[in-house]
Amino acid sequence: MATIELAGKQFDVDEDGFIQDATDWDEAVAAAIAPTEGVDSMTEEHWVVVNFIRDYYKEFGVAPMIRKLCKSTKMDLKKIYELFPSGPAKGACKIAGLPKPTGCV
Amino acid sequence: MNPSVKVEEISKPADPLSHVDPRDLPILPKPYDDAEKIPAWKPLSDKAKGEYESSLDDTIALSIRKPASKEEEERLIRQFLDGLEKLFSRENNWTFLQPMTLSMENCAKCQTCAEACHIYEMSGHNEIYRPTYRAEVLRRLYYKYLKPGGALFSKWLHGDIELNWTTIARLAELSYRCNLCRRCAQTCPLGLDNGLITHDLRKLFSQEMGIYAKELHDNGSMLQLRVGSSTGMNPLVVKDNIEFIDEDTSERTGIPIQTPWDVEGADVLLIHNAGEIMAWPENHGAFATIFEAAGIRWTLSSESQEALGYDNINYGLFYDDVMLAKVAVKHAKAAKKLGVKKIVLGECGHAHKALTVIADRVLTGELNIPRESAMALLKEIVFSGKIKFDPSRNDFPVTLHDPCNMVRLMGIVQPQREILQLLCPQFREMTPHGVDNYCCGGGSGFAIMSGHNFEDWRMHVSGRKKMEQILHAFHDELDPSIRKYVCAPCSNCKGQMRDLIKYYDMWNQCGISYGGLVELIVNAMADAQPGYIEWGLF
Repeated sequence: MATIELAGKQFDVDEDGFIQDATDWDEAVAAAIAPTEGVDSMTEEHWVVVNFIRDYYKEFGVAPMIRKLCKSTKMDLKKIYELFPSGPAKGACKIAGLPKPTGCV
Repeated sequence: MNPSVKVEEISKPADPLSHVDPRDLPILPKPYDDAEKIPAWKPLSDKAKGEYESSLDDTIALSIRKPASKEEEERLIRQFLDGLEKLFSRENNWTFLQPMTLSMENCAKCQTCAEACHIYEMSGHNEIYRPTYRAEVLRRLYYKYLKPGGALFSKWLHGDIELNWTTIARLAELSYRCNLCRRCAQTCPLGLDNGLITHDLRKLFSQEMGIYAKELHDNGSMLQLRVGSSTGMNPLVVKDNIEFIDEDTSERTGIPIQTPWDVEGADVLLIHNAGEIMAWPENHGAFATIFEAAGIRWTLSSESQEALGYDNINYGLFYDDVMLAKVAVKHAKAAKKLGVKKIVLGECGHAHKALTVIADRVLTGELNIPRESAMALLKEIVFSGKIKFDPSRNDFPVTLHDPCNMVRLMGIVQPQREILQLLCPQFREMTPHGVDNYCCGGGSGFAIMSGHNFEDWRMHVSGRKKMEQILHAFHDELDPSIRKYVCAPCSNCKGQMRDLIKYYDMWNQCGISYGGLVELIVNAMADAQPGYIEWGLF
């Protein structure tokens, strides 16, 4: 397992850079991951998506369905891709500090 | 690429044994015939090369750590030899011993299988991907270490091979350069099975040495046994998601649905690949709409511990018999607990093979509950006259991908075709199709493996034949303004289709989209609001 430093903290990450344990995740960490996923700066809309994912994950221990994310944030998938060029799972979830999605998704 | 790499060279230093050079790969049809316009292959990082075994080719599937000492290397070699012995002993491998032994001892080296393999062909005939390359390595080890007098004579009789850590590490990686599609086995004049050989190598590595793809084991089988699903969904989450899908689908179709949970004595227990629920919710929404409209007495199961009721995946099929048996028994228990008449498997190819065919050897007595494919039930419903259809709603070009486990392995060829012939006026076959169709390139778990640059290999090499077939099927209508649909009734295949479409920007450049079978059925339902299929969303 590789280790990287984000916003002054050490994190274990998998080979694709997903944080393994998000206990120490905070907004500064998210902002530090963002550029690696093609997000130059985090706007209010970015935070709406990231916070929804984050809150859902805290409650249910798994990422939200993409359709649910779209409906709850009132953004369509095209909009999510505009905000996060690498997509909701690889981009937005990674910035939100979630581990890489698992299973046939 | 090293065009003349020999079997015995697998033990010799070389970094790597054979390159995969994009310039060696066959040129794709238009508009991908300009190699410059195809996404570039991302090289492995120096860090990855330093930490993990990467001396086979230019990618890594398994992230095998390099042994820290000579002692560790020797221990690993001993483990491998123990595992090799077990593969060929009745008490440890009674299920596959006979076909394995036949495959070891009867190969005529005619190479008919090589020409049937999409990976070998579309790698530009890279020797290390020849189906008989890895089989021949195992065959030489088999004769050298397991046969009387092997150490003395096998070199002359069967060819030389040295067993060192390099051989083992490369062989492990090489067992993950095959989709286990068994097109080679289908074509072998002697009925030998190089797919099984690859499968049993993976089994040796997992069961004996703890070498596996973490997507399949840690985040797959183990996660499923812990929480109920490889997606990480526990019963609370899956019920919440299904409730959302029910509402969302009802809004879209105008037909109210409510998915039944845990109904005792139902006729049908539907088990999806839970990836559908997370990533392709329109698939479950369509199943529910069709079943309700047809008046099927069906249910989902929320079992997650003693039994597994809502995720039909069984990745053990790809790499580990112990995992396979554990999961299969728990699937059957979910059906037994509810006392349903039968299990119907949703659109997931490997789950079909695992639970209906392979598990037949472990499910005995009261666990031997009837299990069948959704394809058959869907055909029955579509042709029953219970639902009114308007095929003009599906008046766009459609082609059909044949999931290997469902079609080549089980012979479920016709039901899905007859549905498409009825409901899709512009349905056309791929070439070849049916049991001769090629793997999507994501088979055997590859569709969910994308660490390091493995996705590049999957998109350039293993998925290349499917790219070619899809482009050929739509060759006269590649204009992006014409919406086209690749029907792939399997979650794993759909994942690969989605990745191919994204990687090659096929929606924008060619108007090619993809989805399952049930979505097309609901899209043609005359009583539903039109437009169930959503285009261009990936």
